[in-house]
Amino acid sequence: MRRAPDRLLAAATLAGLALLALPPVRRLLESSMSLHMLVQFPLLVAAGYLLARTLPAGWRRPLDAWNAHGMAGLLACALTLMVVMIPRLLDLVLVDARFEAAKWLALLACGAALQLSWSRAGLLVQAFFLGNVLPMMAAAGQLYQDAPLRLCNAYLLDDQVRLGQGLVILSLVAAAVAIAAGLRRANLWPARAHS
Amino acid sequence: MFRTAVLCAALLWAAYAGAARLTHGFVAWTEEGARRIEVARSPVPAPAVAVQGPGVAAGDLRALLANGRDVSVVEFVYTHCETLCLSGGTVFQQMQAALQAAPRPARVQLLSVSFDPRRDDPARLDAYARGMGADARWWRFVRVPTPAQTQALLDAFRVVVVPDGRGDFQHNAALLVVHRDGRLLRIFDFAQHQLALDYARHLAEGGTP
Repeated sequence: MRRAPDRLLAAATLAGLALLALPPVRRLLESSMSLHMLVQFPLLVAAGYLLARTLPAGWRRPLDAWNAHGMAGLLACALTLMVVMIPRLLDLVLVDARFEAAKWLALLACGAALQLSWSRAGLLVQAFFLGNVLPMMAAAGQLYQDAPLRLCNAYLLDDQVRLGQGLVILSLVAAAVAIAAGLRRANLWPARAHS
Repeated sequence: MFRTAVLCAALLWAAYAGAARLTHGFVAWTEEGARRIEVARSPVPAPAVAVQGPGVAAGDLRALLANGRDVSVVEFVYTHCETLCLSGGTVFQQMQAALQAAPRPARVQLLSVSFDPRRDDPARLDAYARGMGADARWWRFVRVPTPAQTQALLDAFRVVVVPDGRGDFQHNAALLVVHRDGRLLRIFDFAQHQLALDYARHLAEGGTP
């Protein structure tokens, strides 16, 4: 049974997705490399995450059987992020609707897998996941900044540099948040003053 | 746990297979790299779009390239460009000098195709060619007069032109070697211009692609 707030969240997320899929919005978000990867990608992952939150418990249980300690889900998430950071994909999705559809589904699934797995993963699995994904993102960002040539035919060189900087900043912020959350969980970081 | 391990293995395989396909076996990480590999594997016939330019008889690009005599090295340009087109120009100047200096004249022609037909009319191309020191015996300039046909040509050769918002363009500039039957056989980097010229000469002397 789905609770009413869940139904509301699902409806709101689907409405947001429909908005992102509107051709003018899609064109705008895909008009620059940095908007494409730093805005559209995270929004799609977030939508997948929110949709998975509204999954009824009856659906989660069979999925959990394939996802001990959230390992399969986090692996799926990391692999998806690796593949969508291949520069060729950014060019292909602009001209081939099949790749665009696959990208959307993969990023939604990535967000859903994250939601289904994160709380089930222990600190070790979480740390392993972030320890792989965040350095990879920072390295890709550095690569995008250092490449003397354009990596995507459809995007400008200064846009590529901006995306690289954004990826490095994003990975640093995510790492800082993760470390703070880990410290808080280990009671080494006061969440708020205790009365 | 067993099911999780099976799923993890399947995910790893799927990601590996997907990435391998996307990158032609982890060789081409960019669309430009993929374009070069795919053109080398299956050559692309030049489309029969109308072209015009100084010293070029009215006709179409396919007839110009598939003249049955010359192997062509083609580059895409726009004459208002300040950066990459100039490097393309200097590369073509070097290639022209090499062709002029050869003891036996090679059956190779250099062709600069403008993708900015609005600004690059034949008079403008003529002035630009003079400025570049282009010798019409070796190196000619053309434009495709209509934007629709220009786009058809760019699509056929998978050239992507991006306006930079300041009146300039960025595009995947390269040296395209077209055989005398009008098929685009190979794409080279500007840095590989010696290789491109050697390859064109090799074809011109009847060598196998």
